[in-house]
Amino acid sequence: MSLLEVKRVSKRFGGLKAINDVSFSVKPSEVTFIVGPNGAGKTTLFNLITSIFHVDSGSINFDGRDITHLTPNGAAQIGIGRTFQLVKPLRNLTVLENVMLGAFLRTSSRAKAEKEATKVLSFLQMEKVMHLPARGMGLPTLKRLEIARALATQPKLILLDEVVAGLPTSEAIKLAMLLKRLPEWGISTIGGIEHVMQVVMRVADRVIVLDHGTLIAEGVPQDVVHRPEVIEAYLGSKYKEIAL
Amino acid sequence: MVNWFYIPLQGIINGLLTGALYALIGMGMALIFGVMRIVNFAHGAFLMMGMYATYVVFQATGVSPYYEFPLAGILLFFVGYATYMGLLRPIRGQVDFMVILLTMGLALILTDGAQLVFGADYHQINIPLLSRNIHLGSQISINAPWLVSFAIAMALAGALYWVVTHTMFGRAARAIAQNPYAAPLMGINVNRVQAVAFGIGSAAAGISGALLLPVFYLFPEVGNQFKLKSFVMVVLGGMGSIQGAAIAGLVLGVVESLTSLYWGNEWALAVDFVLFILVLSLKPSGIFGSQRA
Amino acid sequence: MRKWQLLIAAVFLLAALFVPLFGLTDYTLQILFRVFLFAALGLAWNLVGGYAGQLSLGHAAYFGVGAYGLALFSKLGISPWAAVLLGVVLAMICAAMIGSVSFRLRGPYFALCTIAFAEVLRLVAKNLPNVTGGDVGVQVPLLFAHSPVRSFYWSVVLLTAFALGLSAWIERSRFGYYLMAIREDQDTALSVGVNAARCKLWALLISAAITGLGGALYASMFLFIVPDQVLPMEISTEIAIVAMLGGAGTLIGPLVGSVLLESAAEIFKNVFKEANLLIYGVLIIVVVLFMPEGIVGTFTRKLALFKKAPAVPFAAPVPATIEAESERAALNE
Repeated sequence: MSLLEVKRVSKRFGGLKAINDVSFSVKPSEVTFIVGPNGAGKTTLFNLITSIFHVDSGSINFDGRDITHLTPNGAAQIGIGRTFQLVKPLRNLTVLENVMLGAFLRTSSRAKAEKEATKVLSFLQMEKVMHLPARGMGLPTLKRLEIARALATQPKLILLDEVVAGLPTSEAIKLAMLLKRLPEWGISTIGGIEHVMQVVMRVADRVIVLDHGTLIAEGVPQDVVHRPEVIEAYLGSKYKEIAL
Repeated sequence: MVNWFYIPLQGIINGLLTGALYALIGMGMALIFGVMRIVNFAHGAFLMMGMYATYVVFQATGVSPYYEFPLAGILLFFVGYATYMGLLRPIRGQVDFMVILLTMGLALILTDGAQLVFGADYHQINIPLLSRNIHLGSQISINAPWLVSFAIAMALAGALYWVVTHTMFGRAARAIAQNPYAAPLMGINVNRVQAVAFGIGSAAAGISGALLLPVFYLFPEVGNQFKLKSFVMVVLGGMGSIQGAAIAGLVLGVVESLTSLYWGNEWALAVDFVLFILVLSLKPSGIFGSQRA
Repeated sequence: MRKWQLLIAAVFLLAALFVPLFGLTDYTLQILFRVFLFAALGLAWNLVGGYAGQLSLGHAAYFGVGAYGLALFSKLGISPWAAVLLGVVLAMICAAMIGSVSFRLRGPYFALCTIAFAEVLRLVAKNLPNVTGGDVGVQVPLLFAHSPVRSFYWSVVLLTAFALGLSAWIERSRFGYYLMAIREDQDTALSVGVNAARCKLWALLISAAITGLGGALYASMFLFIVPDQVLPMEISTEIAIVAMLGGAGTLIGPLVGSVLLESAAEIFKNVFKEANLLIYGVLIIVVVLFMPEGIVGTFTRKLALFKKAPAVPFAAPVPATIEAESERAALNE
């Protein structure tokens, strides 16, 4: 009973095969992390799932429907939320107004949108900055803002691209603990992360490892992290022997 | 061989002759747009300035514009350089349309200024070359001034292309065009290079004006149509590609000439825009471009 | 802040309605007609250029289509007001076509495309004398038989009030939010499900309708139009500048801009005579260099700083920087 099914998806950019025959599935209310060194294809995979790019071959199913080819705004409408690696706040609006933008997907009433946005911001412990302009905020706040805006669209699945990159470890772990609670809200999470393994170990139900566009390992975190292929991908073949 | 061959052939030849001049104007615009992503609405006014400057010198000295044109080039180089440094550099961080508005304002000032100084009347000059025609066979004739301007324009176009591909300046300009953030990190003085590029582009417009003087009417708004044509060439040629703009200029010249021949002059400008819209909707990266728009 | 803007504008417009009763000359009323006409046109432009951030330099197209619609449909025997309606509908159809092509383009390409469309329309009007009368022109029926100059004046004041009310309503609605999100960062807007193409198109349709109506009123007041009067780039530029001088993306910016600019233009014409365009050009440059947010925008921002108010003036756009664009482009590489 999977929420998202990615089947044999491939994508080329000119001569580079960015995603090579990748298949995996994600269940509802689960936390999955896609890990892999820089350039492994995590962002590309997210872009394919949300139809910012279209796959060359393969298919993607969400909640029983084929979503291989959607319009760029279609993903949010069917329940897939997304954050970006480089945060994109709407600088001239307040934090609350930024999140209301997401809430407006599900209601056309300002009042309801404001209520929903406030609820989400409370969950992310951002009540204090709600009415400040987004322009002056620091990175940790902006990262949470990205998440809040995506959550306000009431997604069933949320894709978090490098959600803790650039944050000091304490912040990263605090955020990760919040994310661990998302399944309570019925939201399934896929996070893309390059290297902050502490977060992955604490939060993930499952881990998928990508290297150069190919899926090289899949399973529970404790298991996957020790696999020789994974260590080789990150550290090179010299360190394969560390795996035990 | 009968008229059905020679008439369009004459049309094509005329088109290539005008097209060379267009190419020069278009390359200037393409250089500016390519290096700085600036849509210069004062480009036509610069052409007009070059034209008036040459006119004044011609009236004073009687020297043919085909020898005087470097003066127009030098004048407009400095005008362009100063415009960039004084007006455009301060607003570089802003959205595109602020730049468009500013150059529009500048164009208004220059055009109205010309009207104040020279009056709104149409001027024309007469040089002996105008009455010389070169005949190819009995059916094709080429008006000598157009041949001279063709030669000069093509030579300058080639020179510009050489500068962009073979000099340090050209390399720096292309670097900035590709990545305005890495360029300064490579030690490129971005402001200076951009100002020079703007100057060269404006000089091209000025020289085109000088070359146009013998064969066209001179009046304050003369630059408008050429400005619009430059936009068309830049888009047709692709994202600021100089070669593309040059070829687009030649294409435009021929298309206009044939349109005039078969449908009348009035439709020539309209065809430019239709072509423009077609390219923008079907292949926004331009006929010769390969990147995204 | 917004409520104040609305209040001031409402009072101003109400007062404006009473102005003709003070026995002004027809000449003065015609100048005032122009002031409020361009206020309405600027407000209409503001929906697309200000809130949605899409710089259209081709709004003369809709103005001209509205004008020619009235003229040509009347020639076919249709009653004047029905012809006005048809002209407005035609303007909206043009907007749909122009928008569907232009909105796919970003940055300067969009502006250039709008210019191209407007120019094509102008050239078509010039070169089809059998249909449009060409450069010779075409007659336009008089919409108000009873004290025409006053009636035309009142009609544009009402049009301005309508455009203002509509802007105020849109600004607070989800549609308005979406437009502003598109302006700030279209990709972000898409990622939260905004149908950017549809929103932009709707904004343009509404904008074109009001602009077309303005064109019809203008044409009727002059009773005769030629292509270079209602379709040239100068009209498109004037509309855009009125909005930007006053403050694109603000509520009453275009109204302020029009009052200032049109009165200034009139004064310049009398004081500077032939140099009036030059002064106009200087004005544009001064605004771009020193007040890019326009009068109302700059004023609102300064006021917010002064009051240290936490709320950001909702509509004042701060121009996006090249950095953001470049980042985004790099991301999409």
